[in-house]
Amino acid sequence: MEVLGRFFNVFLIAATLRTTAPILLVGLGGSFTTKAGIFNIGLEGQMLVGAFFAVVGTIFSGSPWIGVLCGVSAATALALAFALLVVTFEANEIVVGLALNILASGVTISLLKGIFGTRGSIFGHGLVGLPIVHLPYAREFGWFGQVVSGFTPLVYVAFLLVPVLNTFYRRTRLGLHLRVVGEKPEAAEALGISIVKIRYIASLLCGVLAGLAGAHLSLGYTTMFTENMSSGRGFMAVAILIFSNGDPLKILLGCLLFGFSDALSLRLQTSGVSSYLVLSLPYLVALAVLFALSYQARPRLIRETAATMARAVTFQSKTAADDLAASKG
Amino acid sequence: MPLAVELRSITKRFGAIVANERVNLAVERGKVHAIIGENGAGKTTLMNILFGLLQPDEGAILIDGVPTVLPNPAAAIKAGIGMVHQHFKLVQSLTVAENVFLGMEIRKGLFIDHRAQSERTATLSKQFGLEVDPNERVGLLSVGIEQRIEILKVLVRGARTIILDEPTAVLTPQESRELFQTLRGFVSQGMTVLFISHHLEEVMEVSDTVTVLRLGKEVGVRPIAGLSKAELIQMMVGHAISFDRRPRQKAKGAAVVEIRDLWARDDRLLPALRGVSFDIRRGEIVGVAGVAGNGQAELAEALSGLRAPSHGSILLEGRELVGRSARDIRAAGLAHVPGDRLVRGVDRHASIASNILMGRQDALPWSRRGIIDRSYLTRRTEALMRRFDIRAPGPQSLVKSLSGGNIQKVVLAREFSTEARFLLIDQPTRGVDIGATEAIHAEIMRQRGEGRAILLISVQLDELIALADRILVMFAGRIVGDLDAAGVTEEELGLLMAGVVPERQRDVAGIA
Repeated sequence: MEVLGRFFNVFLIAATLRTTAPILLVGLGGSFTTKAGIFNIGLEGQMLVGAFFAVVGTIFSGSPWIGVLCGVSAATALALAFALLVVTFEANEIVVGLALNILASGVTISLLKGIFGTRGSIFGHGLVGLPIVHLPYAREFGWFGQVVSGFTPLVYVAFLLVPVLNTFYRRTRLGLHLRVVGEKPEAAEALGISIVKIRYIASLLCGVLAGLAGAHLSLGYTTMFTENMSSGRGFMAVAILIFSNGDPLKILLGCLLFGFSDALSLRLQTSGVSSYLVLSLPYLVALAVLFALSYQARPRLIRETAATMARAVTFQSKTAADDLAASKG
Repeated sequence: MPLAVELRSITKRFGAIVANERVNLAVERGKVHAIIGENGAGKTTLMNILFGLLQPDEGAILIDGVPTVLPNPAAAIKAGIGMVHQHFKLVQSLTVAENVFLGMEIRKGLFIDHRAQSERTATLSKQFGLEVDPNERVGLLSVGIEQRIEILKVLVRGARTIILDEPTAVLTPQESRELFQTLRGFVSQGMTVLFISHHLEEVMEVSDTVTVLRLGKEVGVRPIAGLSKAELIQMMVGHAISFDRRPRQKAKGAAVVEIRDLWARDDRLLPALRGVSFDIRRGEIVGVAGVAGNGQAELAEALSGLRAPSHGSILLEGRELVGRSARDIRAAGLAHVPGDRLVRGVDRHASIASNILMGRQDALPWSRRGIIDRSYLTRRTEALMRRFDIRAPGPQSLVKSLSGGNIQKVVLAREFSTEARFLLIDQPTRGVDIGATEAIHAEIMRQRGEGRAILLISVQLDELIALADRILVMFAGRIVGDLDAAGVTEEELGLLMAGVVPERQRDVAGIA
């Protein structure tokens, strides 16, 4: 019990929220494109570019907020390129997404070398992270206060965006049109809703959130930039998006699951288990869940076969009864 | 009083093809005006011009007597014209009211005012007798109700002239009847209805005036009163044709096909066939009626080996077909005219000759030791093209260059030139014009005369009544009626298709 207690405690919950935030931000960004009917695997690259330029902006301006702005702008620019190719020129979204991801990885590595003359990672150089927010009165709420206070601002932004997006899709005109463009483009077209315009808006909004996710990674989650530091989070977000169909609440659930296993793996690293094994934990968990979700289709088949057979039996006994009644009548 | 809509000398060309040639159309306010013609006569093109989807090359559009240019549908809507398309454009995950107001949402501040939208939808549906529940999700509704929503969409945008493109193609006869009542309601409230159809009875039933198009030209405008069906057909086709029940002798042969307690699932794995049993005799045409989606497609697929039945048996001359591949089943004596000719009937990108050869490329005399006999293939194809009146330059013409009716004839030519004892014919005349329909019907009757057992699945009730000996009605995967086709009415069939079992039937079934 004591051993378990060491792993499962309030700090694990706090750590989960911390590790969830970056993937949640990029996942919610992808929600826009998913809802608008674009399969966007360019999230990874947008996040990486966001992370890099957030660091560059901070180092040159001295303010992490200007850094965030730079990161968001860079990611949005990449999103614009994506939209231009996919929406306007109707290029294949997978090819474009992959190409931009590779481009993002290459460009950040080259610029790292070009600007700072180093490879691998960059820290110091007057790089400051985002300030930590201590919620007022948090102490008065006991362990809960402990859990929810003391994060960098973008963590709060990430979690607050979930209900905001939920309302956006349900209650606002733009949200509704986004859904329609994704679900039935010909309906949108017939009613004078511009598919191109809506898809551009969705792509750019996605870029903004992916940029925030990147900035959070390099200025909030850590205070450094490392080559390919998004480390597959954008792809995990794509997987979560496929299974959540872009619904904000389901994205939150998926991200929490990933965040929890990420936090747990960080915790286990200190316990002497092989770190390679431990680091693969979040991905294994994600795989297991995806497998479980697709496995659901099988019991359904069995259930339905049973239902059909039950009906067949009752149908036959009923017709037999009818025949009997007819022969007597 | 000015005309609600007037089209003057409209010409529209697509490359070398003239879709509309100097067509005139004059529609009076407060009338139901039908536009009829065979496929390719230019009806839809003309309506798309009126709705701003296409621009005419020549001619003028007058709305309420005022010359108007309609560069896009938005301009047409502004001018008070609405169009209900043949294929509905509804968003399944939204509610009825959300669909109705899509693109013109009522808003309160930042948010959509869902309550106001529901109330407006309810008011409109009451005013025009289009009963819907504004808060229901569209994905759960029937086709008939979907059409009502499409009409509401047009009404809420302030249309005074409504264009309906083949509105009854997807409806049961009862639903069509209700639609006609609604349309009569519209004109009594001063609105104008333009109704595109190639279904003559409907046109005669609901409209005041009819404009007939043939090969892109307008061949006549007549008031419906005093016009006979034969006259209308003559105007449409250019010569007289009869679609009355074909005379025949009763089929008395032995059962060729015996289907017993057949069950199958649809693509969503839900039961689509639930215990279907029937026989088909030698020289008998058994018709299958039903609203699309009640198991007819799955029945055809199960019989042809394209869908594995979950239970039951299909005997063709005593041999079990269940569990065999489509190829085995064809070898055992099935010829299949599929419901969608472009998906399963032909390879569009291949020549007529290749399509005729398909499926028997390994058999004598079509090929010898693995080499196809080209000269035999050409001779046979030419003979079949003559016999089935396939209009094309030659055996090497690509199928995709043919019209729908001619493509269907290619499928029939291949399937009817086999030695099969069992013909499975699904929608033989879907999208085929009247002239070709007559030829196809004659060919089916000839196959019957040769003693084949024929299963004819069709959504066109008049076709079933004209051709079939018996008509089976399918509803929710079951056969709910087995009627002698002689003397049956479309109303009787329609009720069964809607799942209503009449008293007489119930007595016969012995449910006391």
